[in-house]
Amino acid sequence: MKALLLSLLLLPLVALAQAPTIEISGANFRPLPVAVPAPVAQNEGGRKLAPGFDTAFGFDLAASGIMQVLDRKSFTADPKEGMTAGSINFSRWADVGAEALVKVSLAQDGGVLRGELRLFNVATGREDLKVAKDAPADNAELLAHRLADALYRHFTQEPSPFLSRIAYVVKGGNNRDVYVADWDGGNARALTKGGINILPALSPDGSQVAFTTYRKGRPDIFAQKPGGDARAVVSEGQMATGASYSPDGKRIAYSLAEGESAQIHVANADGSGARALTDTPYGLNTSPTWSPDGKRIAFVSNRGGSPQIYVMNADGTGVRRLTFQGNYNQTPDWSPRGDLIVFTARDERNAFDLFTINVDTGKVTRLTQDQGSNEEPAFSPNGRLVLFTSNRNGGSQLFVMTSEGNNQLPLRAAKGFLQTPDWAPLAQAE
Amino acid sequence: MTDSAVSHSLLVSRPTRLSRFLVASVVGHIALLLAAVLYARLASGPKVDLDARPIKASLVRLGKPRDPKLLPRKEQLPPPPKHVDAPKPPPDAPAPAPTKAAVAVPIPGVKPEPSTAPKPTPQKGETTGEDRRKRLFGAFDKTARAAEPEEAEGAEDGDPDGDSATAEGERYFGLLQSQVRRHYNVADTIPESERLRLNTIVAVRLGRTGEVLDVSLSKPSGNDLFDSAVVTAVRKAAPFSPPPEHLRETLQKHGVNLSFRPNAL
Repeated sequence: MKALLLSLLLLPLVALAQAPTIEISGANFRPLPVAVPAPVAQNEGGRKLAPGFDTAFGFDLAASGIMQVLDRKSFTADPKEGMTAGSINFSRWADVGAEALVKVSLAQDGGVLRGELRLFNVATGREDLKVAKDAPADNAELLAHRLADALYRHFTQEPSPFLSRIAYVVKGGNNRDVYVADWDGGNARALTKGGINILPALSPDGSQVAFTTYRKGRPDIFAQKPGGDARAVVSEGQMATGASYSPDGKRIAYSLAEGESAQIHVANADGSGARALTDTPYGLNTSPTWSPDGKRIAFVSNRGGSPQIYVMNADGTGVRRLTFQGNYNQTPDWSPRGDLIVFTARDERNAFDLFTINVDTGKVTRLTQDQGSNEEPAFSPNGRLVLFTSNRNGGSQLFVMTSEGNNQLPLRAAKGFLQTPDWAPLAQAE
Repeated sequence: MTDSAVSHSLLVSRPTRLSRFLVASVVGHIALLLAAVLYARLASGPKVDLDARPIKASLVRLGKPRDPKLLPRKEQLPPPPKHVDAPKPPPDAPAPAPTKAAVAVPIPGVKPEPSTAPKPTPQKGETTGEDRRKRLFGAFDKTARAAEPEEAEGAEDGDPDGDSATAEGERYFGLLQSQVRRHYNVADTIPESERLRLNTIVAVRLGRTGEVLDVSLSKPSGNDLFDSAVVTAVRKAAPFSPPPEHLRETLQKHGVNLSFRPNAL
């Protein structure tokens, strides 16, 4: 950001009406300061559902990493100000530092909650976006995610993570259960009921979750559709852990332990056609993660003496060590953008923190520091955010941050002792 | 007779002008002193707690560079400054002790004077002294030449934000550039694909004292957020430094075009 490269170019005075031209480049990019006043309820139903909507909508924008939601306490505009450009006093919004103004109105129509969003450029006073969405009245949060997604798409021209789903493990007593929830932890549903069920992996289409379960006493990989029954994918008494779906959802990679070693295997999504990709006697190879093109797999191996991140082709050839810094690197997750792998590492102070490594350049960037232990990262479907667990506030909470490590926020609605999150796209019906 | 004796006695004090002045002066000083004491008592100054532990502040010494095998930390320390050995002083530097000078500047090939000699006498007369000086200055020149790229560290009157070692073109425009650049903040919401192609030209006219007379978009980029961000940058940067004499008329009449691009060139 600071690396500004500026060049001074003085064009001939005649060329541009005798006015010299100065080139200025290398802007400081920062989140857009957005004012989001409380939603305006058009009827009694809208008024009742507004608080639930407002919390979810505000979190989406604040956690997006591209917007800075301004504190409502600083607002000086008339709370009864209208929804149209003509009725808005933009200087009041400019005074509080807003560059964009987002106004939402809500109305309940039977079993449907309708919302209208308008985005204004505060400097020009122009309406830049007007969009209407609806959702079932019992799911005001879904309407919030849909409107926030429309706003995000308007700015970035790419899908937001707000309509995606996450899976994670909730620890309760001696049980570990897999849950599936909205991206912010809302609308959480337990997938498993009792026993030890860990390391969930959402399939790319979001239709099912693969997870490691100890229901037969030894770790097996099962897959289950929400509301459906679990079926064994890799079983038969083998020690199989940590499934990862290929980007096309047709294959899974996992780690299979035999004796004192564990090898990376790849099989069809139903468990058929399995074959080993690694072969290191006495070495542990675990935690496979696919590149977004499905051609490579990153994994953890201790073949060099300490756990490090390695990369190989999806057929097991061309293995190369990726990390050389730190002596305990684990739980890699490959960015859907392809350039970065995020991983957990133990630093020289014995703190577990999150780092990214650029797959091509090998450059390691630190994302978390001096805030408890931070582990088990997972990239958002668009690669802009990272979900992870942290004990900074006690227990084990889910947090989200940008892929540069900025704007670290606890997930709004995910409660409990939470572990090993996974994040996959699941575009909900529009 | 008696009256006259009293009036002439030295033992009797008489009110003279000097004594009146002295009395007034003493009374005045006492009054001032009392006023000062009273003021100090009445005026509520900050109470000094002698038991309070003093805050110790110290600058952390620049440590060794981080082991490349270790994982990075955030907010890395700035790289250590380049170490340049100071050139040795020439032998005819002002007021060196003669014996010390001979010890301090060991020149290969030049034998030092016997220690008994109170004053160094060049063995080969003036030419030797000249050679020695040339050799030393030659070494100095070599150091200077080797360090040339590092030495170009900007100008005394440069800008803290400046990134150029030398003045290119018109110095005043460089100043304008750095003043605008400080406020050149653009929203993260602008997609990366757009960042490559966005270009806005803002026309600015400046008055004699550097005040902004007029800001206008002479070529909008098509992205309202970017356009308003660059106009804001110019407005926030104002007022600018007063333009030099030879540019005043141009800047007032025709102004200057600021061509903004989001990414570093």
